[in-house]
Amino acid sequence: MIIWDVIAAFAGSFLTLSVLSMLWKDNPCFKFGQQGIIGIVIANSVLVNMKSLLDTGIRPLVAGRITLIVPLVFGVLLYTRLSKEYAWLSKYPTSMMVGVGTGVMIMGTLRGQVIDQVKKTILDVFTATDAMGTFNGILILIGTVSSIAFWIFTKEHTGGLGIVSKIGRVYLMISLGANWAGEHVWYLTQVLARLAFVYDNLIMKVLLGQG
Amino acid sequence: MYEEEKKDDIWEKLGNFDVRWMFLGCIVLIFVPMIWPLGLPTIVSQPTKDYYNALVDLPPGSILAVSFGGGFGALDEREAQFIATFKTIFSTDLKMVIYCQVSEGPAVLEYIIGEGTGLADPLKYGKVYGEDYVRLGYAPLGEVGETAITTNIRSMFSTDYYGTPLDNIPMMENINGADDIDLLWADYGACTTIEWYIRQWVVPEQMPLIITTLGCCAPMAAPYYPGQLIGFLSGSGMGTELEITSGNPGPGARTSDIKNLAILPFLLYLLLGNISSFGKKYMR
Repeated sequence: MIIWDVIAAFAGSFLTLSVLSMLWKDNPCFKFGQQGIIGIVIANSVLVNMKSLLDTGIRPLVAGRITLIVPLVFGVLLYTRLSKEYAWLSKYPTSMMVGVGTGVMIMGTLRGQVIDQVKKTILDVFTATDAMGTFNGILILIGTVSSIAFWIFTKEHTGGLGIVSKIGRVYLMISLGANWAGEHVWYLTQVLARLAFVYDNLIMKVLLGQG
Repeated sequence: MYEEEKKDDIWEKLGNFDVRWMFLGCIVLIFVPMIWPLGLPTIVSQPTKDYYNALVDLPPGSILAVSFGGGFGALDEREAQFIATFKTIFSTDLKMVIYCQVSEGPAVLEYIIGEGTGLADPLKYGKVYGEDYVRLGYAPLGEVGETAITTNIRSMFSTDYYGTPLDNIPMMENINGADDIDLLWADYGACTTIEWYIRQWVVPEQMPLIITTLGCCAPMAAPYYPGQLIGFLSGSGMGTELEITSGNPGPGARTSDIKNLAILPFLLYLLLGNISSFGKKYMR
């Protein structure tokens, strides 16, 4: 084992345990770990973004791609927001970004997220090759229609609409439950993997000399 | 008097179960399989099989584009996916172009596929940089940047990550947009990002798409599968499935083992909370 592995094991374990120490209470170790991590992430982000600006903007411009002056000037104008007097200038690049972003997005939204999804929801019921597939298709069709009905607010949720929207609410709750469960398992993975790091690298390798 | 009785009954006690016992149980159950591995079985799901087949069924020499969004913050959740996927790719004759849409992407890639140091070291598979794979580095792309890549990669990246002009890289000679790409692997950590790829790659370019993402993003990806999405991996669990399917054992198996046990105190806590809630409502 080389000295860098030992340093990495100690530093990594210390940072892990210092962040987890928040479970006990706020303390200087937690603050050090938290602020250290934020500092490293920001430093990396600034450096990588500067490199990106150099590689994709400034170097090609110097090499002769004159048109790149336009996005670069627009980019600089965004910083005028820092001045009260010239903040209005930042509205031009902001408007351009909103306009281009919306235009680019709309193109695929209708086809990819509305038409194709609706088509598939309906067709799945009739094109399924087995009973289970048909059953799934029907469940999804009911879920889609009832969940949309839940968001109809121009009519009071009574009678038929009331029943359908209640079914929709159940579907939405199941969907949120699945989402939350996924998130919970993600956090659990993070915790166990960090503890595994401490166990493998600090306890087993460095302190016990195994592995 | 009645209120005091309510405070002491079993339903109230179940609902006020001290949460610290749950955390303690969780930590104990994390360490048990860490010390004594259990080797619990893992069932491989259809999205994982389809994801794997999408990679290995491509003809030799096909071009795979990778829109990489891996960061260190969620690496533990996705390490198994990355390692198993890159090992699978390096085991085939695919050509790979990788670009990053998050600033930590290049550093994560160095950790996973760095030459000589990576967990899925391309040198071990005989892969040559510039001939078998190219790293374009990071650009703050967003959805608009993805569109630019589909039409003209060189408009976003005139050089690779190491500063070599793309025109001087042999593999990039005939690659400049979606028309030259056979499969897109999109990796992201923000659940709605899948919509970028559907809108910019799948709809206009008819691009076959596979994705890797966090466990919590599966409900956002599932509506597109099967159909617009060929296969997907969400979370470390499906990363483990890919390890099994591809025959590349890695960190996922152990993580899944531990998760299977460590989740039990949380399930018990949920169960007790629900029993308490129903008890208070119907049994009093």
